[in-house]
Amino acid sequence: MIGRLVLITLGLGLLLALSGFLGIAIGPSGASFGDVLAIFSGKAGSQSITSTIVWQIRLPRVILAATVGATLALGGLVFQALLRNPLAEPYILGISGGSAVGAIIGLLLGLSPFPGVPLAAFSGSMLVLVLVLGLVSGQSAVNRDSMLLGGVMMNAFCGAIIMFLISVSQTSQVHQILFWLMGDFTMFNTGQLPVLLTLLPCFLLIFVLARPMNLLLAGHESAAALGVNVQLASLVLLVTTSFMVSIVVCQSGLVGFVGLVVPHILRMVLGPDHRLLVPASILGGGAYLILCDLLARTLSSTGEMPVGIVTAMIGAPLFIVLLWRSRRCR
Amino acid sequence: MNQTKRIVCSLIILLCLSGPAFGLELHDQAGRLVKVPTTVSRIVALAPSVTEIIYALGQEKRLVGVTQYSDYPEAAKGLPKIGSYVRLDLERIVALKPDICFGIREGNPKHQVEKIEALGIPVYIIDPHNTGGIMEAIKGMGAALGASGPADLLARDMARRIDKVSRLANTATSKPRVFFQVDAAPIITAGTSTFTHELITLAGGVNLGAGPVPYPRLSWEEALALSPEIVVITSMAGGHSPESLKAQWRKWQQLPAVQQNRLYVVDAGLFDRPTPRLVEGLEALARIVHPELYGGSSDK
Repeated sequence: MIGRLVLITLGLGLLLALSGFLGIAIGPSGASFGDVLAIFSGKAGSQSITSTIVWQIRLPRVILAATVGATLALGGLVFQALLRNPLAEPYILGISGGSAVGAIIGLLLGLSPFPGVPLAAFSGSMLVLVLVLGLVSGQSAVNRDSMLLGGVMMNAFCGAIIMFLISVSQTSQVHQILFWLMGDFTMFNTGQLPVLLTLLPCFLLIFVLARPMNLLLAGHESAAALGVNVQLASLVLLVTTSFMVSIVVCQSGLVGFVGLVVPHILRMVLGPDHRLLVPASILGGGAYLILCDLLARTLSSTGEMPVGIVTAMIGAPLFIVLLWRSRRCR
Repeated sequence: MNQTKRIVCSLIILLCLSGPAFGLELHDQAGRLVKVPTTVSRIVALAPSVTEIIYALGQEKRLVGVTQYSDYPEAAKGLPKIGSYVRLDLERIVALKPDICFGIREGNPKHQVEKIEALGIPVYIIDPHNTGGIMEAIKGMGAALGASGPADLLARDMARRIDKVSRLANTATSKPRVFFQVDAAPIITAGTSTFTHELITLAGGVNLGAGPVPYPRLSWEEALALSPEIVVITSMAGGHSPESLKAQWRKWQQLPAVQQNRLYVVDAGLFDRPTPRLVEGLEALARIVHPELYGGSSDK
């Protein structure tokens, strides 16, 4: 087990490093593998335009993409385990939408970028979470369809609130809010990198709870029989995940489907053990979003597009395939 | 004596040489102090209006990058693109190695402008709110580019033409009620704080969209209740053909504008950007509002 964990962590860590290298070596102004290698080995002067681009523009983007990707993939993994539903994901369940409503209200109220707006976003996500869970709690077995429907409806409702807020506000920020809703990394302020550090203890906490997650997946009754405090574990996991999602939504808007694609592929390769899946989702999610962002930055020749478009283009078809297969298996 | 002369001479020479090396310090229209480098040989324009002004100043040889939709003049379309004005692509901007960027206060995201400056590229911001503001912006950009001569000429020409229109409009006996349609579905018109309002007023008309909201959305009911005598529609409205835009109004036979057949479609490019072309827009509008002052003819 330990051996496998080390192996997988090393392998995916390598993948993350490789994606990160590609992310800072390639950009809309061209690929610069040689330059980047020279910069890393300290041979290039630090005054050149390429080194400015690599260090001050691409590197912060790659760090942001890796952190957001890791958080969303982990968020998806936690929701899928807790709700015993492979289609659960912060975006689809409306958690991200709730954060967005909270964040936009925070912005319109003129709250501070930190901690004001993230706290408003967190409140929004918790409210949606309570509503969606309330929808399902009455039923004896977890009903997949009602949960997904509840999430989709919450998403639609959040969307309506957002559109309302946009249509009544006369600020020139409306354009930016629209891009932000598509999932956008250009809004990110390099000064906010330290904020992302608050995510690290969350990652650690979820890794510690990996074994209870395995048991929860087997069923709440059996988990309780095996000595897991089901309610406490679920509560800690849900609150931690919603907190993480709120933080990344504030930085990058609504990047969808990462929490669906990454854990699903990893589960197919690695099996259902969360002690492996938690670190794998963190590293794999980071690598995946770095590569998606690379596409978003370079696909169009006139300017970058929101990364959420790329993740949705990949994720939504996969969601449909998964839904279709899960129905066939019934 | 001779030595003193020499010292004074060398001091003067030194001053002349060192003066420009510090570069210029200018206040831009956002009230920020911008350090303009001594030699500006590469410019990036962060908005279509800025691109137009740089061409109008004859400084396009130094322009190395523009935003998407920088479609005027035609030659600007061929320049490298650096994203749209609301979504600047930082990497593309930096890779063009500009000595200075020119941006707009309302539109360019503030945090992106700050990032560009943090990377050592000065950004000169223009923020015109009326035709006077455009002339100020042109003079400011001219000063930053060492092209104050052409800038003064351009601003003076604009002022002269605006003055001519406004003096002629003052001789008119009536003030027709003008409805200016910016977009078709929904109907959007222009409020008091817009350039359009200023142009309608200068041309001798009454802007029916006047009010605190810059670009109010109206239902047909509200638009008809205003009972316009003249309807001016920009060609950009909703991407429809000029004829279909007019046909939407012709359904309402009771309207004075329809009865007198005073429905006009104008070139959107002359109205939607704060550039010298706005004066052409003013002249076109003046001929529409008061055709009798311009020899009685106006193109329908």
